[in-house]
Amino acid sequence: MENFTAGMQSLATTLDKISQRSGEAISWLTLLMVTITCLVVLLRYVFDLGWIWLQESVTWMHAMVFMIGAAFTMQREDHVRVDILYRGMTLRKQAWVNLLGTLFLLFPTTLLILFSSLGYAHDSWNYREVSQEAGGLQALYILKAVIPLAATLLTLQGLSLALHSVLVLIGVTPGREATGTSQELKP
Amino acid sequence: MSYAALLLFFGVIVVLMAGFPVAFSLAGTALIFAFGGIVLGVFDPNFLFTLPSRLFGVMTNDTLMAVPLFVFMGIMLERSQIAETLLDTLSLLFGTLRGGLGIAVTIVGMLLAASTGIVGATVVTMGLLSLPTMLKRGYDPRLATGTICASGTLGQIIPPSIILVLLGDVLSSAYQQSQISRGIFNPKTVTVGDLFVGALLPGLLLVSLYILFIMIYALLKPESMPAASPELRQGLSGLQLGKRVVLVLLPPLSLILAVLGSIIAGVATPTEAAAVGALGATLLAISRRQLNLDRLRDVMRGTTSVSSMVFLILIGASVFSLVFRGFGGDEAVRHLLLQLPGGALGAMVAVMLVMFLLGFVLDFIEITFVVVPIVGPVLLSMGLDPVWLGVMIAINLQTSFLTPPFGFALFYLRGVAPPQIKTSDIYIGAMPFVAIQLLALCLIAIWPELATWLPEVIYGN
Repeated sequence: MENFTAGMQSLATTLDKISQRSGEAISWLTLLMVTITCLVVLLRYVFDLGWIWLQESVTWMHAMVFMIGAAFTMQREDHVRVDILYRGMTLRKQAWVNLLGTLFLLFPTTLLILFSSLGYAHDSWNYREVSQEAGGLQALYILKAVIPLAATLLTLQGLSLALHSVLVLIGVTPGREATGTSQELKP
Repeated sequence: MSYAALLLFFGVIVVLMAGFPVAFSLAGTALIFAFGGIVLGVFDPNFLFTLPSRLFGVMTNDTLMAVPLFVFMGIMLERSQIAETLLDTLSLLFGTLRGGLGIAVTIVGMLLAASTGIVGATVVTMGLLSLPTMLKRGYDPRLATGTICASGTLGQIIPPSIILVLLGDVLSSAYQQSQISRGIFNPKTVTVGDLFVGALLPGLLLVSLYILFIMIYALLKPESMPAASPELRQGLSGLQLGKRVVLVLLPPLSLILAVLGSIIAGVATPTEAAAVGALGATLLAISRRQLNLDRLRDVMRGTTSVSSMVFLILIGASVFSLVFRGFGGDEAVRHLLLQLPGGALGAMVAVMLVMFLLGFVLDFIEITFVVVPIVGPVLLSMGLDPVWLGVMIAINLQTSFLTPPFGFALFYLRGVAPPQIKTSDIYIGAMPFVAIQLLALCLIAIWPELATWLPEVIYGN
């Protein structure tokens, strides 16, 4: 039994790390988005130049940031909750909410997105689909492949949350404070 | 059929109350209903097959690309601690006036809110910075907390505001839809820029009303907000003080004006303006020696997080509205609103009331993405002006976040207020500002030109 819970714990920690690293890496794109958009403005007003693909690259980065960053955001506890009741719950009750929520709300969503988007991205690959704009970016299937990738990462982070919750419920870990680190940054 | 949609709506609210993240609660509950509907043969599974292309639509929505860039700018400004110097200097300027510190707090709150657009951070920052000073100067704790909460929520209405970007995107598709449903196939459009311009006067109206209230209160109850003694200025001459005021006000003001100005003048899209604003905020942070690698990482990660949070709610809400529509909910809401007595006015009042109540449990983002797409097309097809509607929704929700006992802004302040401040003080302090908000709503309802005049002047018809 002890081995089993230790295994659960280390699996959850590993999954957390995956979310963390992927989010930290993808967050650099936000800086790049600022830079490239400013560059687009500069090129247009100073040099009278405009490239569709450069502009599209910002859209791509934006999509990748929030899709791939979703698991990272979840790991940081930054997805908003309606916390009127949740805030006052015991850690055990919170663990129940998180376990049941993951099983019945998160998994159905991410798995449906994952399986429905696999075909969607695959079709795009088969046609070697390119941007509809003339002069746009070529490999549109890469952007479409971001959907199943993000769904996979979210499913893994969901698994981690479920494991953490079970560990709290069987009394192995005391549970963590579930307040987001940047909740107050909400617009 | 529409009973299922009604059930879904209440089901989602019940599930949301449990406290699992909103994005997954919205999508998950809708999917459970959809599966149930498929099993019972009352829901067409084909609705679900459009999911990936809807998702892709969210990913490639160009209007909403402004959101992460505005978030970047906001977090960068928040981290570069402009609030401190602004508050120090402005309280020097107004401090010797009776009620002057209150006015200074309102103005700093407005500037901070406008430039960062982040309500929580503004309330928290102002609560930490100005509440202790106000209390030390002998201000009535109720007035002090009310002022901070109210000016903190201004970030939602005063452009450039992230919320107005979201609302602008949703309203623009609702507007198209309402016109196409009336057989207008060459529809007029409404843009984020229109909404920014439209919200400008109402936002300034609110600030003026706040300041007016503080001034009147200072006349009626002078002991509630004593003026500081003239020694506060430490022998600074008027000219020196003037120079300092200009120096601290210049960077944030010019940033706001540059971002807003370029959008209004039509030289930049909101996305481009936001990126330039983010660059400006970064340069400002560097010039104030507030930027290092750690802080940059912090800003980038915060941006990723907030942006993911917003867009996942949008995704969750679009799954929800897909299923809601699949059950015929859109039609049901349309019938309901059309049957209300009083025509457009009756429908508008009902919608505003429902949104106000939903604002107690849901965030601006959720209401924008879940409720506005459902009711927006109906209201607009009754002939309401989209800019006016957007401004009314924004002020309505801002009011909701100020209203005890559930207002978000009040919770944020409670979190940082010293323990000797009673929660009831914060609640009572917010009341007059809630009244001001309602007054502003009435004024804009009576004179819609407050919201629609400026966009017409700038953009013509």
